[in-house]
Amino acid sequence: MNKEKKNEEKEELRIGVYVCDCGSNIAGVVDCAAVAREIEKLDDVVIVRENKYTCSDSGQEEIKKDIKKHKLNRVVVASCSPRLHEPTFRKCVESAGLNRYLFEMANIREHCSWVHPKNPTEATEKAKDLTKMAVAKARKLKPLPKIQSPVINEALVVGGGVAGIQAALDLADMGFKTYLVEKEPSIGGHMAALDKTFPTIDCSICILGPKMSDAGNHPNIELLTYSEIESVEGYIGNFKVKVRKKARYITDECNGCGECWKVCPVITKNEFDLGLGPRKAIYIPFPQAVPLKATIDMNACIECGLCEEVCEREGAIDFKQEDEIIELNVGTIIVATGFTDYDPSGEYGYGEYDNVLTGMDYERLINAAGPTLGNVTRKDGKKPKSIAWIQCVGSRNKDNTHCSNVCCMYAMKEAMQIKEKYPDTEVYIFYIDIRAFGKDFEEFYKRLMNKGVRFIRGVPAEIKETPEKNLKIVVENTILGRVCEYEVEMVVLSTGIMPNTDAQEMQRKLNISRTADGFFMEAHPKLRPVDTPTDGIYLAGCSQGPKDIPNSVSQAKGAAASAAIPMIRGVVEPDSTIASVDLDKCTNCALCAKYCPYNAIVHEKNKPLKIIEAACKGCGTCAAICPVGAMEQEGFTDAQLISEIEAVLEENPEEKILAFLCNWCSYAGADTAGISRFEYPPNVRIIKYMCSGRASARLVDKAFELNAGMVLVSGCHIGDCHYIDGNYSCEERMDKYRKTLEAKAIDPRRFHVEWFSAAEGGEFAEYMKELEDMRKKLQEEGKLTPWKKKAKKKP
Amino acid sequence: MSNRSSIDGIIERSRAYNCVQCAKCSSVCPLSGVDESFSPRLIAEKILLGFDEILYEKGLWTCLTCGACDDKCPSDVDYRGFIRELRGKSRQREEVWKCAHGGVLQSLMRMMSDSALKQDRVGWITGDMKVADKGEILFFVGCLPYFDIIFEDFGVKSTDIAGSAVKIFNHLGVTPVVMQDERCCGHDLLWSGDTENFMRLAKNNLKQIKKTGAVKVVTSCPECYRTLKLDYAEYFGEQDFEVLHFSEYLSDSINRGELVFNEACRLNGRVTYQDPCRLGRHLGVYEQPRDVLGSIPGACLGELELNRDRAVCCGSSCWINCGQSSKEIQKRKLEEAKSIADLLVTACPKCQIHLKCAMGDLEGMDMDVVDLTVLAARALGYLV
Amino acid sequence: MTSGFEPRIVAFCCNWCAYAGADLAGVSRFQYPSNIRIIRVMCSGRVEPSFILNAFDLGADGVLVAGCHKGDCHYLTGNDKAEGKIEQTRKLMDILGLEQERLRLEWISASEGLRFSEVMREFVEELKKRGPNPLKRKVVS
Repeated sequence: MNKEKKNEEKEELRIGVYVCDCGSNIAGVVDCAAVAREIEKLDDVVIVRENKYTCSDSGQEEIKKDIKKHKLNRVVVASCSPRLHEPTFRKCVESAGLNRYLFEMANIREHCSWVHPKNPTEATEKAKDLTKMAVAKARKLKPLPKIQSPVINEALVVGGGVAGIQAALDLADMGFKTYLVEKEPSIGGHMAALDKTFPTIDCSICILGPKMSDAGNHPNIELLTYSEIESVEGYIGNFKVKVRKKARYITDECNGCGECWKVCPVITKNEFDLGLGPRKAIYIPFPQAVPLKATIDMNACIECGLCEEVCEREGAIDFKQEDEIIELNVGTIIVATGFTDYDPSGEYGYGEYDNVLTGMDYERLINAAGPTLGNVTRKDGKKPKSIAWIQCVGSRNKDNTHCSNVCCMYAMKEAMQIKEKYPDTEVYIFYIDIRAFGKDFEEFYKRLMNKGVRFIRGVPAEIKETPEKNLKIVVENTILGRVCEYEVEMVVLSTGIMPNTDAQEMQRKLNISRTADGFFMEAHPKLRPVDTPTDGIYLAGCSQGPKDIPNSVSQAKGAAASAAIPMIRGVVEPDSTIASVDLDKCTNCALCAKYCPYNAIVHEKNKPLKIIEAACKGCGTCAAICPVGAMEQEGFTDAQLISEIEAVLEENPEEKILAFLCNWCSYAGADTAGISRFEYPPNVRIIKYMCSGRASARLVDKAFELNAGMVLVSGCHIGDCHYIDGNYSCEERMDKYRKTLEAKAIDPRRFHVEWFSAAEGGEFAEYMKELEDMRKKLQEEGKLTPWKKKAKKKP
Repeated sequence: MSNRSSIDGIIERSRAYNCVQCAKCSSVCPLSGVDESFSPRLIAEKILLGFDEILYEKGLWTCLTCGACDDKCPSDVDYRGFIRELRGKSRQREEVWKCAHGGVLQSLMRMMSDSALKQDRVGWITGDMKVADKGEILFFVGCLPYFDIIFEDFGVKSTDIAGSAVKIFNHLGVTPVVMQDERCCGHDLLWSGDTENFMRLAKNNLKQIKKTGAVKVVTSCPECYRTLKLDYAEYFGEQDFEVLHFSEYLSDSINRGELVFNEACRLNGRVTYQDPCRLGRHLGVYEQPRDVLGSIPGACLGELELNRDRAVCCGSSCWINCGQSSKEIQKRKLEEAKSIADLLVTACPKCQIHLKCAMGDLEGMDMDVVDLTVLAARALGYLV
Repeated sequence: MTSGFEPRIVAFCCNWCAYAGADLAGVSRFQYPSNIRIIRVMCSGRVEPSFILNAFDLGADGVLVAGCHKGDCHYLTGNDKAEGKIEQTRKLMDILGLEQERLRLEWISASEGLRFSEVMREFVEELKKRGPNPLKRKVVS
């Protein structure tokens, strides 16, 4: 790497610069000819052209011709946002034989002409600065090699609910060996426990059962039930996963004949029936279980050995079995870990009053295979003459702000079932809003209204049990504006969907993110809803957020298709702007390894530091954290970024606001300001890095050394980082940095850290105005003086 | 709509914008239970949608700010704060509300905010009580001396509470500071939107408390308690004295083994306890008063069906808008209390006054009502 | 107190006796100091403690409540009730630290014009001796 650098420095630089008018989009405000004239004066610039539309075919052709004719070895285009056309121009220069990373862009549209239409002079000055910065950076660009890494064509699906089953089936059908890991003794998940499904009232297990057995029998699917993920290491194409197969004390010899649980003398609660029904210590959770293989619950088992006596399969029961750790090597992972039912204990007397149930409890009661064989009965055995559903229990409140999506529909489905079975039952649904948004949902709602179900808008805060074990409900009917009292014989709480209890653990093991509601975060809420920010890991079902069965299945199919793409291609080719290490400088302190969000840096004692290129996502946090400057992020090296800083602060630095913005959020937010034409002061100069994790004290110091008026370090909102937690480490570092300002005699009001999302163009513009006001004030106060490094040495 | 921007601020601070009109508030509101026209969520809805005529309506002033709704609100709305600020707004528009007792209490509170006033309010201190001007523990009396005069007709002697407190302090070897010129804490003015006079009262009290050198301020009035503890801190920053309700002080003394009730003063009977809203829901003091009752020999505590965080307000607050609804709430409470107990214990001088008043107005509702502090003094053998 | 001090007095006079007495003072040209502002009420029983306290709160140096003589109340016992309320107010004033003498209750019949003017003169003299209302809060000079 070092040798290469030296070679490059000797190379004669020949830079071609293209200033784009973008019709009148840029030229209407910025004097592009003046910009071109200014740039012509710069060293190493061989040719400058002003075009009407640089991105057009003719514009691109011109660049290609110039590269050949003028032997250009760097190309700079001053036009729109690189988020729009960087890929276009990279391809363009590559087709003319230039390495694609020897291209640089200046954003004089979104960040200039569109936001300063009323200040053409200042806008022209800004365009000159921005282009100069790009030229300065271009001088320091290096050709980067293409990275390729192979992809193992086996997949792992975590979670054996309907989403996981579907994803595994699709992948297996595509021909990929797929491991399906489920922590319970059987696959099937929540759907297996439901009675009927909305809005069609078709039997849940009847439609799920065949899929379960397909998954169980598929030659490409290896079921790992009663198993949990122990650890995940690696990266797209090459994940190493350890799975704990919990001891079920039954071997593969078991054929599920059922003789053993007939004789088992221990009776305990069946979790599958939510404790409403019994099971034995040796059991299968439900008749359609896949695999149809018993499990011994050692917490309940008294080891009497009766099961072993009746079992006709030699060696099927093994009391000595122990947990087993198996290692899988897969290319892609689909996370379909599902959800946990909200536990309403303590609310509405649940757990205390006999006849208050949750929706899931009710599902088990009305299920013909459930503990009451399908009879909805009270604790005292009576058939309830009146039932009330209370909506939004555990959803849409200050702790769980999300809507659980399915409760309106499942309550209505459950009400429909009781109305069909016993039409005389009085049914009330106490609701806040009815959300019947899916296909055929509203029609179902209408049909139910026609059955005489009373929908009452308003929910009670609590209910009381009467001596007859009925439930008394006092509630305001908000449509009538009247507080009314009801007495019913059973209450069903429409409890919501919560992130799975192990979501946090899974998040850490998989190095993926969660949104504020606790569900797993998708890479983009609209355009990449099945991807996680970590390449090679995909989401399906309720682990990503509450959803119904059709949506879970759709997402599972999407995730399977997405996971198949890298496996079909066989290789992945990530962006080359990744970390590199100068081992001559590296002290092996391993700070970079500690902060790397992707575990892409391998540090072993007494061995040189190693970067796993396929795992590195190019955030640059390591480069910022490295105390000796041994770590670099290609494409965003210290030399490159500092050359930009120097270029922009060459003249009147105290008049300028220097903003470091991350590619995904704040830079995109500044683009949004441009697209939305939110104006802000024209003395803002933006430097892009991929992630705020790249922001280092060295960069900010350089800016203050050259006396930048104001410095802003910005990234995604905390929790939204595209590199998992780059902004956390940025915040941590910048907090420390702020404390050093006093010693440098830099007024701390000149330094700011703020987060903007890609959508916050207005907020970005407003903030820039505030910064400019502050800058002016500080200038008046005479506070804008440079940091003089040598001041320290004075006695 | 010119004043809308300040209403927007109220909506924002109280998070009323979160309201989804679920109506859990009205299902637990003690007023909605007796007055069909009153619905907390409806007031919020009207304000949110700009129907500001609600500022001119009685609902804004009948709300008891008891906090029963806050506790159940799934949307995190600070409803009592919402109402408190709206009342300030309604005052700015020179709207009037119905003061109970001819507004005499409000007159007194406003007069007390004048620093030129020199009160003579310690006439209730008798020769057998030891008090001081300076010291570590201060007993904040509250407006009890005034109540004695205004509510003489109901047979209420509120200063008995203060007398009992001082006797208990002395019993424990403590000579409490009692301020000669203590002012109203400002609770009622603050909750009726008169922030200006509240601030005046508070400043005066804080100045006086500082002079005494007190590090612990104990009061037997839950409203003074809330105001000294929360509102003074909110408006004037954290104070360097600790604020305790007398029930907390008693319960601490009992737990430390310093206070032992006299077996000879057995109280043979069934008692029940009314949780004051300010003490309970506003500040979470539920168990200490019950601990004290539990240590009184012979006191057999039976709970009202709705107790602790679900306790129903005594029916009136801030001496405003007492009326039929208040009476209905009080009637239900007394009926229930009579059915389970011989003695109703309160820990708030105002609850006591309101319930006594209701007994006078309603047929057959008479029962013994006593303040916890007085009951404790009696259990130590003092004749109060 | 300075001799220049002119007390401000609020007088609540009942329609049937005291107010009529004041009218008679006028008709008969009985002179009395100009420090008084009369508020007419139908009966002295209408006067609530808060009226009196508010007057003091707003800067009155003295308050006079005047009604019919005992036994002559046009509303049977309104003046008895007034007496009770004045008594209660005096007790409150005691605690507040306001001198009781600043509040006067007088029975003045419709024929006592002269007495009305005398009461006024006396009251003004008394208040001049006592000086201004200690409450400064809302005194407008």
